[in-house]
Amino acid sequence: MLYREALNRAIDEMMASDESIVILGEDVGRYGGSYRVSEGLFAKYGPKRVIDTPIAELSIVGNAIGMAIAGLRPIAEIMTVNFSLLAMDQIVNHAAKFRYMSGGKMTIPLTIRMPGGVSRQLAAQHSESYETLYAAIPGLIVLAASNATYAYYGLKTAIALNDPVIFLEHELLYPMEMDFKEVKNFDPFKAEIVKEGKDLTIITYLKMRYDVLEAVPKIEEELGISVEMIDLNSLRPLDMQTIAASVQKTKRVVLVEEDHKTGGYGAEVIAKISEELFYSLDAPPLRIAGEDVPIPYNRSLELASIPTPDKIGQRIIQWGRKNGL
Amino acid sequence: MDYKIIMPVLSDTMDKGKLVRWRVHEGDVVHKGDVIAEVESDKAIMEVQSFKDGVVKKLLVKEGEEVPVKAPIAIIDTEAKTAQTETKITQQPKEQSASTEKPKTAPKESTPAAAVPPVIEELLKTPAPKLAEGDATPAAKKRAAELGIDIKSLQAEGKLPKPAHLRDIETEALRRYFTPKALELLQEYRIDPKEFNLDHKIGVEEVENYIKEHDIPKIVALSANRIAVMKNVQNAATKPVYFIFEEFDIKEYEGIKLTSVLIKKLATAMQKHPLMRAKLEGTTLKISPHSNISVAVAKGDELYMVVCKRAEEKSLQEIDTWVRGLKERTFTADELTGSTFGISNLGMFGVQRFSAMINQSDVGIAAFGALNEGKISVTFTFDHRILNGVDAALFVRDAKEIFKGDEDV
Repeated sequence: MLYREALNRAIDEMMASDESIVILGEDVGRYGGSYRVSEGLFAKYGPKRVIDTPIAELSIVGNAIGMAIAGLRPIAEIMTVNFSLLAMDQIVNHAAKFRYMSGGKMTIPLTIRMPGGVSRQLAAQHSESYETLYAAIPGLIVLAASNATYAYYGLKTAIALNDPVIFLEHELLYPMEMDFKEVKNFDPFKAEIVKEGKDLTIITYLKMRYDVLEAVPKIEEELGISVEMIDLNSLRPLDMQTIAASVQKTKRVVLVEEDHKTGGYGAEVIAKISEELFYSLDAPPLRIAGEDVPIPYNRSLELASIPTPDKIGQRIIQWGRKNGL
Repeated sequence: MDYKIIMPVLSDTMDKGKLVRWRVHEGDVVHKGDVIAEVESDKAIMEVQSFKDGVVKKLLVKEGEEVPVKAPIAIIDTEAKTAQTETKITQQPKEQSASTEKPKTAPKESTPAAAVPPVIEELLKTPAPKLAEGDATPAAKKRAAELGIDIKSLQAEGKLPKPAHLRDIETEALRRYFTPKALELLQEYRIDPKEFNLDHKIGVEEVENYIKEHDIPKIVALSANRIAVMKNVQNAATKPVYFIFEEFDIKEYEGIKLTSVLIKKLATAMQKHPLMRAKLEGTTLKISPHSNISVAVAKGDELYMVVCKRAEEKSLQEIDTWVRGLKERTFTADELTGSTFGISNLGMFGVQRFSAMINQSDVGIAAFGALNEGKISVTFTFDHRILNGVDAALFVRDAKEIFKGDEDV
């Protein structure tokens, strides 16, 4: 199943089962979505439930919040996370805080979908990853879908939740063919152990999952170790339980993220590990992240600014040799 | 259970409040959010809500009375039955009911984003562990403290690396209970040190006894060479072969190894028989103009089939120099491929006769036994796919003549 098909199926099934669910955003209707996620939904549910909006992100989220307050269950699509900065006040000051400002009397059952990350030569203003911003906002739930299974079940749960969910996707994943697994008792807040191992834990999320997977065989061969790999899935709340169990077993941890290193989401994860699992660590934690530069347009420089399977492998092997592996 | 409703603090400057009017009577049922009284602060008249469901048990303050902030004004019994009884409150303001109305959505479970997972609460409760001093990782320091290992002194003596990791500490702990030789045995036989009573120094003898008593096998990993040989002979075993047994007359040459003579003679014979220089590829044969002979060379446990290339162009002396060099050097991949016929010689070990497996894509192989008074026994193995018995017989007959004479030397 294609990643975008999983998202489409999730929205379609939810809309079919609940009339209060609507989607709105730029080109989500007649055009079928910039990445074809809402393809076919306009024809099926009509312009009242699949709403094309002007290019005005603040109003997309603002309108969606109004709909949510009035009893609808909207899914807002922001074309990329880069443009979500325009909607920040509505997301941070309103969506995230209504439950708390109303003493729990009002909730905002809103899902905001947005793709991000480095695609191919979209340049600095269209290549950012802002999970670190949203994961820092109390009142929001932040989910990051790296695969078709999580995209499907995660998005369905996000729509069903009564609190605002920032649902992060990655632009390069949409056309990827992926395995789809049926899941019973799906827990959107549980991290996935992608691969079991005993000597080193690599934590990652979104598209970096695939870059890490590609690097793992060489790391295992060169260091003669077995690697455990965790895909976080949920960035807020963070599943420290799964992380703790793994790090207590392997005693070594590496975090791989595409976002810039300084102030990136990985900094938060590693800080929590240092606070809570310090005495389990047998090596200093390692972060492999994007460089601290706006993403360049030039393809060579673009690749130089983010982790790649080669760089991930080399860094971990180098770090492992220096730290007793 | 009794739930006390208190005089609320309605402004920063308010220190007491006046109860203006009760909206409920004793015995009334109240729900969470219901207004039960109106109070007057220094600024305005405000409503007081109940934050729990229950029945009004007692009103503690009379209308018009002033009480300090936070003083109890009423008691609600939260355990009294309220479900069937309808609320008697009639003067609920309209805007109040509007703002408490929940969105018209299906009630679904929502996990608050700020929930602390239980494992973290558990970790926070755990006191900081005792740590050994020295240059080591947190995990190593913790383990060292548990085992009573002094990292700092051991590092000063050079017995522990800097920084020390968990593995170094575990090994150090074992050194206390096992002699170095005993420790080597444990690793060699992959025995868990916990199998022993760690209350005395354990020597080799005790470990050896344990091995015998528990019938523990020694685990030896196959070498890369052994795995390669295994693949080669397994492939050879799938070939349809036949054997020809012969006895050759052979001349010895002063200062020349017998193997060198065998290579030279065979190279000459191969020149007369193109099929001995052939390689089967699908439905074609690739016939080389040269006699490229693979020679079985044993090095300790390892076996190599080293190829003597263009052997027919080399003099006996040149071949002998090549053969004598084999024991000392390692081989390149190029030296181990490109042959079409093989030689194996076990005569020096007194073996009278044996047969050999065909190497890789060779046509055949000649296995030579011991030399007895100018005669040597030889067993040829041929790949029947490439040549028939008659072809082989003609080759063996010519070879027999060439081995007897010395025109080629």
